[in-house]
Amino acid sequence: MAARSEAAYPVTWKSGRVARWLVTVDHKRIGILYIATALVFFFAGGILALLMRAQLATPNESVITKNRYDEVMTMHGTTMVFLVVVPILAGFGNYLVPLMIGARDMAFPRLNALSYWLFLLGGIVLYLSWFSASGPARAGWTSYPTLSELQFSPGHGQDYWILSLHILTLSSLASAINFLVTIHNMRTRGMTWMRMPLFVWAIEVYSVLLLAALPALSAGLTMLLLDRRGYTHFFIPSEGGNAVLYQHVFWFFGHPEVYIMVLPAMGMVSEILPVFARKPIFGYTAIVLSTIFIGFYSMLVWAHHMFTVGLPTGLDGFFMISSMIIAVPTGIKIFNWVATTWRGNLQFDTPMLFALGFIALFTMGGLSGIFLAAFPIDWQVHDTYYVVAHFHYVLFGGSLFAIFGGVYYWWPKIFGRLLDERLGKLHFWLTFVGFNLTFLPQHMLGLLGMPRRVWTYHHGGLWETYNLISTIGSGIMGLGMLIFLVNIWRTQIARRGIRAGNDPWLADTLEWYTTSPPPPQNFDSVPYVTSARPLRDLRRRLAEQT
Amino acid sequence: MRRRLFVLGLLGFVVLATASVAAAANGGFTPQHAHSPNAQRINQAYYVVLAFTAAIFLIVETLLVMFIWRYRSRGRPRTVDGGQVHGNNRLEIIWTLIPVGIISVIFGFVFYKLPGISGPPTAHAANPLEVKLDAHQFYWQFTYPNGAVSIDELHLPVGRVVKIDINSEDVNHSWWIPQLGGKTDAIPGRTNHIWYQPDKIGTYYGQCAEFCGLFHERMLARAIVTSEADYESFVRTRAAKELGKAEWEGVCAKCHGPQGEGDYGPAIAANPTLVQPSGLENIVRNGRGLMPAVGNNWTQAQFRALETYIKASVYKGASTSGG
Repeated sequence: MAARSEAAYPVTWKSGRVARWLVTVDHKRIGILYIATALVFFFAGGILALLMRAQLATPNESVITKNRYDEVMTMHGTTMVFLVVVPILAGFGNYLVPLMIGARDMAFPRLNALSYWLFLLGGIVLYLSWFSASGPARAGWTSYPTLSELQFSPGHGQDYWILSLHILTLSSLASAINFLVTIHNMRTRGMTWMRMPLFVWAIEVYSVLLLAALPALSAGLTMLLLDRRGYTHFFIPSEGGNAVLYQHVFWFFGHPEVYIMVLPAMGMVSEILPVFARKPIFGYTAIVLSTIFIGFYSMLVWAHHMFTVGLPTGLDGFFMISSMIIAVPTGIKIFNWVATTWRGNLQFDTPMLFALGFIALFTMGGLSGIFLAAFPIDWQVHDTYYVVAHFHYVLFGGSLFAIFGGVYYWWPKIFGRLLDERLGKLHFWLTFVGFNLTFLPQHMLGLLGMPRRVWTYHHGGLWETYNLISTIGSGIMGLGMLIFLVNIWRTQIARRGIRAGNDPWLADTLEWYTTSPPPPQNFDSVPYVTSARPLRDLRRRLAEQT
Repeated sequence: MRRRLFVLGLLGFVVLATASVAAAANGGFTPQHAHSPNAQRINQAYYVVLAFTAAIFLIVETLLVMFIWRYRSRGRPRTVDGGQVHGNNRLEIIWTLIPVGIISVIFGFVFYKLPGISGPPTAHAANPLEVKLDAHQFYWQFTYPNGAVSIDELHLPVGRVVKIDINSEDVNHSWWIPQLGGKTDAIPGRTNHIWYQPDKIGTYYGQCAEFCGLFHERMLARAIVTSEADYESFVRTRAAKELGKAEWEGVCAKCHGPQGEGDYGPAIAANPTLVQPSGLENIVRNGRGLMPAVGNNWTQAQFRALETYIKASVYKGASTSGG
């Protein structure tokens, strides 16, 4: 095998230690680049979050100035959504989809490379905007006009923000098309739609949603840019524009975006749980259908972010019922995951801890969403720390816990070494405890009347208590993330990680059939797929033969 | 094991400490006590949703923890299979239909309560007090039926229905007094409405809930509910007397410091423009540089009130002739 890969890849300047990463069109290299870049941005966005928590630890604090706070708050949100969660999922999708469906690579390898480099460019543009004359954007990650218009946000920070998001939109569109073509055309023999790994199903729906939602964002950003620099007045009411139009366009993208960020994470949980419960996933078909159903309905709920702008009651009612309907397929997923643990032989390795943590925390985030969907209740809790708590339970307790589970689960496949279990468990427990300390009290802060996006607050008492607990929690999480870095260093750089064989977890899906890390061509041969768990079938056939 | 005990102990301590502090003052575990019918009905809807979601939360988390405990490997190696259960259609149908039922109940209850939340009961709606609210960067301006103006504090007579027309002069803001009712966005080019019928004399606090720029957190608001007589005396006489001070504190001082000594904005206490009526009006009406056009819709009476107050209480410079 070694001879064969050398023949296919002659040694040229492109094989250089750095050059081979710059010129690569291999989906595995691109996937690693995606994940590594997104993790760098995750730590950048995390530091911004810690700065905000430090500023909010006590009332009338001035760790950072209010100008700086607004920048930090805007950059934290934009970073975590556009530079961390979406691209890290694209990274896992890149790495895993071809392996999981038994393919040689993505359908369009060069387009794939373009997607990554556009992502990196978008991130660099956003972060370089710190050095623009008037600083980066500071109108929040949603950048509502008229605040984001030139009159109220002078300088170029907002323009760089728009430019960066335009670039990231192109990156995501290209990768979505690539995923769809790959999944539709390149599945190996025997892999019918209903034998496809649930993660691949999630990436399918993720890609469809990206294709459907991103053009709306591009349109909204273009109108905003034209307002700022092209003398148009799309969103300027004093000139005949409409400030609410932007909100419709933004959330027409923004709510599918939430599911874009959470469906593939759910797919990861659906991969991890059965392997560590030593069982098949409970209700494969129900989970597939609920994924499709959530994807469809996520396009119809956008105005639940706008209940306070004064929509007609009929619209409020429609968006309330459509938002609540999404709870049904989400509930189906949660019940099926819980049922997957039933009668299992549960192995509590780190990936499993994160997957179980995901179920526990995502349930909380889903249920607080019911309050927000009921629009009169939303009139009270909207734009308060209650909402901040809600979406962090969904996006951090949800998506990021699943992603960390995925990191621990697929690390041995990607790099050939297992991350350290003791450090991994410490990482999990610090993150889990820190997470709840940070975000649980924020529900209370919201009900007490603390709006989001405030630089400081002027109440002592409970406001101070909860904020202080929240800040302490964020520090504990920060410590957990340092442990994660130590773990990576220990495993890969100090090379003390245990070498993984092809299949250290005795898993079910095709990526574990090949070596760890896989060779450039992925597989020398791919077994005929007869179920959704081809590797388990293979193990059983081997056991019967011996 | 010892580490896990330590974590559990720490968690328990924090939970106990938080609960004891919080229980002392309704701690944000439930919505604040409501003093207007619309806010009360929202709270009722909150408790209905809370009942269902708390039940689901407990069921899911209890089952999860029970299964994690009951089916832990207990040293069984990875090669031992768990029960090879692929699913159960009857269960899938049950846990689809029950949430559908719960959602229908919540939806029905919200719409049953809705008329009493979005509009006042017709019996009380006759002769409502109508107040106009203009939101600005970074203050609230209330105009009462007789033309009286107040800044950052809304004066209301107890027991009477009040309707508020909400508008913004610059960026999006959101008007919110939690104990009286939900949020209503103040959006330029658009008039939104909310109503209250405060049931108790007192002061209710709130603040801007839609991020509106640098001083978002300073857009604090008070609703001061008084007797009908006190309210009348406020709009007839006191409002005009207090206006200049209220404008200085609500509009100017947030950025220029309480004495005009400078804060985020420049020090202006000794700036002669302060006592030149046309110069002052020009800056306040149109803004300058980073300063927004805070007074773009002010009346002459408002400018006069500000001038008088500044001349008497703020200005530290040399007096100018004819100023």
